[in-house]
Amino acid sequence: MTVLRDYAAAVTQPTLSEEPGRYDELTAPDGTLRPAWKSLGAEVAELTSDRLRRVRREIGRFLSDDGVTYTRPGEEAAPWRLDPLPLVIGAEEWAGLEVGLAQRSELLNAVLQDLYGPQRLLASGVLPPAVVYGHRGFVRAMARPSADPQLLLLSATDLGRNAAGEWRALADRTQAPSGIGYAMENRRVISRVLPELYREAGLHRMAPYFQAMRSAILASAPEHVPNPRVVVLTPGTHSETAYDQSFIASSLGFPLVQGSDLVVRDGAVWMRVFGRLERVDVVLRRVDAAWSDPLELRGESQLGVAGLAEASRRGSVRIVNGIGSGVLENPGLLPYMSAMCELLLDEPLRLPSLPTSWLGDPGALEAALGQLGSVVVRAIDRPGWRPSENHDELRATLVAEPHRFVVQEQVTVSQTAAVHGLGVAPVPVALRTFTMRYGSTYRPLMGGLASVLDAGRSVSSKDVWVLKGRPEDPDQGLADVLAMTNVRAPAAMVPRVLEDMFWFGRYAERTEDMLRLVLQTHALSEDFRSRPYSSGGATLRVLMTTVSALSPTPDPSPDADFRSNLLDPHRPGSVAQSLAALRDAAQGSRDQLSSDVWRAFGSTDRAAQALVEYPYSHQVAESAGRMLSGVLSLYGVTSQMMRDPGWYLLETGRAIERGLQLVRLLRATTTVRRGIDVDRDVHHAVLAVSESAVTHRRRYRDYVRLTNVLDLLLLDPENPRSLRFVLATVQTSLAALPTSTGSTRPERLVLDLLEELDRADLAMLGTVDGEARPHLQHLLDVLLGQLTRLADAVVELHLAGAPTPRSFGLGRSGHTRLEVRGP
Amino acid sequence: MRYVVSHRTTYSYDADVSDSLGVGYLTPRSLPWQDVASSVVTIDPEPGDLRTDLDHYGNTVTYFQVTEPHQALSVTARSEVEVLEPRYDDALLVQPWETCRPGTSTDPDAWRTVDFALGSALVDHTPEAHAYAAVSLLPGRPLGEAATELMQRIHADFTYEPGATTVTSTIADVLETRAGVCQDFAHLTLACLRSHGLAVRYVSGYLATDPPPGKERIVGADASHAWAAVWLGQDTWLALDPTNDQRAGERYVTVAWGRDYGDVPPLKGVIFTDAKESTMGVEVDVAPVVAGSGH
Repeated sequence: MTVLRDYAAAVTQPTLSEEPGRYDELTAPDGTLRPAWKSLGAEVAELTSDRLRRVRREIGRFLSDDGVTYTRPGEEAAPWRLDPLPLVIGAEEWAGLEVGLAQRSELLNAVLQDLYGPQRLLASGVLPPAVVYGHRGFVRAMARPSADPQLLLLSATDLGRNAAGEWRALADRTQAPSGIGYAMENRRVISRVLPELYREAGLHRMAPYFQAMRSAILASAPEHVPNPRVVVLTPGTHSETAYDQSFIASSLGFPLVQGSDLVVRDGAVWMRVFGRLERVDVVLRRVDAAWSDPLELRGESQLGVAGLAEASRRGSVRIVNGIGSGVLENPGLLPYMSAMCELLLDEPLRLPSLPTSWLGDPGALEAALGQLGSVVVRAIDRPGWRPSENHDELRATLVAEPHRFVVQEQVTVSQTAAVHGLGVAPVPVALRTFTMRYGSTYRPLMGGLASVLDAGRSVSSKDVWVLKGRPEDPDQGLADVLAMTNVRAPAAMVPRVLEDMFWFGRYAERTEDMLRLVLQTHALSEDFRSRPYSSGGATLRVLMTTVSALSPTPDPSPDADFRSNLLDPHRPGSVAQSLAALRDAAQGSRDQLSSDVWRAFGSTDRAAQALVEYPYSHQVAESAGRMLSGVLSLYGVTSQMMRDPGWYLLETGRAIERGLQLVRLLRATTTVRRGIDVDRDVHHAVLAVSESAVTHRRRYRDYVRLTNVLDLLLLDPENPRSLRFVLATVQTSLAALPTSTGSTRPERLVLDLLEELDRADLAMLGTVDGEARPHLQHLLDVLLGQLTRLADAVVELHLAGAPTPRSFGLGRSGHTRLEVRGP
Repeated sequence: MRYVVSHRTTYSYDADVSDSLGVGYLTPRSLPWQDVASSVVTIDPEPGDLRTDLDHYGNTVTYFQVTEPHQALSVTARSEVEVLEPRYDDALLVQPWETCRPGTSTDPDAWRTVDFALGSALVDHTPEAHAYAAVSLLPGRPLGEAATELMQRIHADFTYEPGATTVTSTIADVLETRAGVCQDFAHLTLACLRSHGLAVRYVSGYLATDPPPGKERIVGADASHAWAAVWLGQDTWLALDPTNDQRAGERYVTVAWGRDYGDVPPLKGVIFTDAKESTMGVEVDVAPVVAGSGH
């Protein structure tokens, strides 16, 4: 028996429970598989619990390699979770759902046009006005007679199936519906981990839908724009669905921008591109409406674009979805969907909603107050709001402003099998569906994002398979879409993305350099920690001091020091901190980077996890070594990048950081004389940390002299680790940038640094005064200062973002006060 | 009465502003009792983009953007208006106040006024405001009388005191400190009446002031003003000024109305600058035009 047969047997056991039975997506009441699952054929029989557990592990690895995360509000980004078993929907069943979903989007669009226009729904009494006027999503700034209409282009509807097996709409998402990127990622992973099942299933592939979505977005541009420019406006890398946003941006080939990357001029939206402004025609908006324009909406917003509402009203830019579309994300509309459908579309509503009553209706309020224990109370425009457990308090809240609340039945959604422990277990599921306006009709995605629920919260996801009626049916019913042949992420242009690329280079190098130092120090500590009076022991102390100079730590014991260096992201200068910053920079420029970058993070994460699990000293070297391999693999990834400004800034960042780390290392190790044996060991270690030991041996045999070390690490034009080499790289990269004149401040600073090296006299540098090497100390101090200035100058010239928007009075809020005395 | 209203706002900064975007409600509305002969908004430096539009409530709103670097910005509105004393039909004033709630009114336009009966960003319906108003809103009492008494009580119980409140003060703060400025009193009136289900507008405008006895009128000594107007049905709104304990009559120039100050600020904007310091100046002058003086 396969695991699914076991499941079927278990869920069809009669129970003594009084709870209403859930509809089972997998099993009919007679214990047989549902037709859609049956049609998957013999492959289903191959699903043993062993196989599913293995598949689950592979899924975890794929998702971690792709860097897929989800961030709950107020929490750290957490790994995205995906169950191996898909939610499978047969063709016939889907056909009914599809018509209902298409009608629903058409209706929502009609409601949107009406509420921002003639308001027939309100005047006719079909929809109580307080449902709309009392909802935060109704943006009066967009409700002007002159405003360009805001068509609903993309929407999402959450569905649940009741005990009778009927689909019900639970909620609609219209502001900036998220999740389609996750749905695509889920499909990509499942098709790789269950290839046989996936191949045989005869399901609708999702790619053509994405292609159609791209053309629909392009077509939404203002009329007569020949080659529209589309941008994806994101609130930033810490947003809940940052992964979804960058996935969409990179798969559709639209740049991912933040509010500060855009400006409004002449009532149109422009993107800052190397000191020029380039026109933007469509903004795919993932910033909440209230935060999208500090001029007319929330004045304190730093996420939006001042003037965006005006540009949208003028129709010079199209916002997808429009700033006012949030009014549709309103459970207060649900009781009136049917009547609104009759009025606006003149047809009956096909897809019913979850039974809901709006408490602005006095009868509904009275009924609700009588049964507070058995219904779910929801606020119409505050998704995070939770009703008070205290019924007296709740009653007072509802009576004070009844129009802001609805009550709904307790939802008993359907269940399906999910991998759990050693086998599979039934879990409740909800289905997010996606619909787009394509031409003049609405088309649902044949697929979706299923959520595994626990106490109403989504805890994992499932791929959604919509099966084809006949094998020859075109995927997504779209036979005519053109493949996206030439979609490529556009070159990094906006200052913020360029800045992320620069820091990507810097943090990658900083991580690498610190890892090499940790590895070298750890090796010494394994050999000499018990022999403090040997020259190796003295060398160990020098290196430990060097580590703490670069990354201060309060913990003097070597093992704790190494571990926190590798694991504690709050320790300044640590490997863990540099890795976290590197990941942040990668998130910010995600649409510019190959997804292989995330594979590198996958391996550093696993190395860190291993160190958490095995508290043995040798694991430090093991984990640091694997982290180093992960970081080094980034070189392979970035070497394949287009040679565009983003790449040159990444190279500049990496080279400057290498120079800085090298000079800091030399300052901490070579400026003091410690006796011949210790000096020799320290210089050996410095060469090893600088990845130049082999070169040194080839050139100078085993005879380590400080002047040779300095020659190799500072002056050698052929050693890629030398400061001179690094400066030459910076010089070339800066010259390749569009801003280059040959005499910009960063270019002049590089010339100064090179001259400083030309003047350096090796013999002089080695001279000692007591225990000090004053000439070397001086040179290194000068170099460090100049390199720091160079890094700042690069940022200032290329990357200085726009100043933050402020109010006329320089405050954060746009309000001034009226202070008037009467007669 | 006929007035020439001029309203000039200036900002100056200690460093260049590269970009200023502004929105202003500065153009008086044309109303049955208010004729706007002319109205011009002038911005210095000259804006690269300037547009006027009608907002959701039919107010004239000015949008502008100055893109040449500047250290001073001035926005001047100059309007000539003729205001009559608004007349209210007694039949409307004597209606029991409960019948004028949009939720239960039979007036065909009642649905539009629901927008002014709900809480808004700056006007919380606190239980204290509800209780304060209940003293005047006795069952069955004529609306005109009840609302007028409420206005009188606010005038008597609250002290006009600039600085007693800030932009972030809430209705609860004003009720607590019993002091504020015209904007606070208008908001308080809104909270009081709306918490009982009535529809009330926040009105932004100007009030013509008399010089002290024996003195010349000082140009620029006037200011923006704000009051409240409660819906009586039949497209009629009773305008009451709690700051000055009187109906808003022929000395009141109506510019714009909305749910609260946030809908109709005279001027707000966003600038891009590294400036650290700014100074703002406002001069408002409501000058009566003497008949036959050539205006």
